[in-house]
Amino acid sequence: MEQVVNDTSAVTQGSGLVVDAAVIEDRNAEGTVGEIYVDDPRMTCRNVNVYYGDKQAIFDVSLDVGKNQVISMIGPSGCGKSTFLRCLNRMNDTIDICRVTGQIKMDGQDIYDGGLDVVPLRASVGMVFQKPNPFPKSIYDNIAYGPRIHGLSDDKPHLDSIVENALQKAGLWTEVKDRLDQPGTGLSGGQQQRLCIARAIAVSPEVILMDEPCSALDPIATAKIEELIDELRENFTIAIVTHSMQQAARVSQRTAYFHLGKLIEVGETDQIFTAPRHQLTEDYITGRFG
Amino acid sequence: MNEMTSGHIVKAYSAELEHLNKLVLEMGNLGQDQLRRAVQTLKDEDPKSAGQVIDRDRQLNEIDIQADEEIIRLIAKRQPMARDLRDILTVQKTVSDLERVGDEARKIANLTIRFYDNGKTPPNKETLHDIYDMSEFVDEMLGRSLEAFAELDLDKALEVIEMDKKLYEDFRGSLRRLSTFIMEDSRNVGSVVDIVLALRALERIGGHAKNIGGFVIFLVTGKDVRHVDIQAISDEIAASRVAD
Repeated sequence: MEQVVNDTSAVTQGSGLVVDAAVIEDRNAEGTVGEIYVDDPRMTCRNVNVYYGDKQAIFDVSLDVGKNQVISMIGPSGCGKSTFLRCLNRMNDTIDICRVTGQIKMDGQDIYDGGLDVVPLRASVGMVFQKPNPFPKSIYDNIAYGPRIHGLSDDKPHLDSIVENALQKAGLWTEVKDRLDQPGTGLSGGQQQRLCIARAIAVSPEVILMDEPCSALDPIATAKIEELIDELRENFTIAIVTHSMQQAARVSQRTAYFHLGKLIEVGETDQIFTAPRHQLTEDYITGRFG
Repeated sequence: MNEMTSGHIVKAYSAELEHLNKLVLEMGNLGQDQLRRAVQTLKDEDPKSAGQVIDRDRQLNEIDIQADEEIIRLIAKRQPMARDLRDILTVQKTVSDLERVGDEARKIANLTIRFYDNGKTPPNKETLHDIYDMSEFVDEMLGRSLEAFAELDLDKALEVIEMDKKLYEDFRGSLRRLSTFIMEDSRNVGSVVDIVLALRALERIGGHAKNIGGFVIFLVTGKDVRHVDIQAISDEIAASRVAD
């Protein structure tokens, strides 16, 4: 940590008090306000930069993701929050022009190590997308697919128990247990999204990444997913990108605010939504700019 | 429109917050006027005007209800966060304190009626001086707390909180002085008890002004200063200015 003294961006909080962002003591070397470190991190990201060809999308982001915590990433469209999320399981590798620098570790292991196999990495760091994307297979096979290809189960009874356990944890078991052979695509939108979460859980990940998981769902289905996220926290670490600030406030313990590819502020969710310290965070969450 | 309420992409949101803040100031001015009028009825020995002060308290109650309704609507519609959330919480608490300022002013007006209506025995005039002196001090506290709210002025907010200490000392001093009137002549007991209740009402108005000062600090800085040593808060605010 070091104090940045040449930054002139002022945080105006009423005529009686002007706090200069440059003198906020725990502003770290990369310019982020707030505590980027946690005591018990599952993932540690240091000086992460992401480029799409010549264009830089993420600038020098350092951030810890705490074990059994939900961290929300918020910010206006194009701020880089989804790009950063996709760095956490190397999903950006699938884009030819994308280049990532810096260091991202999970449990001390550098996930960008040249010798690392990304297939088990993506099982350890599962992902749930904006639109539910079940495979065109039965509900059972949607869940069983991962354990099969990762060799997590040798026999049918064991696979059955993995499927049931994943559906139980995703809160879907009672709704689908009598129609496991039906197509996953026949479920409602909310059920499909919980099926995708069950599919991610089935390969025993440590971290689950969620990229706007409720943006295509109605309020009831959204509430079920949010309840599920809270329950999953007991066993998994979750990083979620959301456009709904109320959702970030409801489901996460820490919140990170991104703006134009930079991590502006990170802190306890309660603090971010009641008394943010950076003017840009304040302006965004109070609806003063888009 | 001040910096606390303005600047939303949805302009109606800024206008709603602004209206709430105006209601607070309207209510504050009315409460301060009620205090002045109530004390004046005592000076003028005018029970008829005292009755008007009591009737006028309804206006404060109506604004209190109106503000609460608007706050509920605004929370449901806008889901305020950060400074907007602090602003709304501050308005709600301030309005509640100002409604009680009106109740205390009504008590003083009632005293005028008890002393001077229908040829009742008036009190020894010497015993009333403390009410006049304390009412001026409390009036100043209330005015300064409203200025602090309107201008988001931390210095004025801190001053009001500091003034409350002097008010409490003055209140204790008055109690000691009034007890001598009782000791000198036991016929003063009834009127002195009424006067002590009026002083208590004034002391409470000062307490409400102090609360408003604390709410302003919460609004501007996000720090809850209730039950906190004010010197520590003052030092922290001063330190942040030095850093700036």
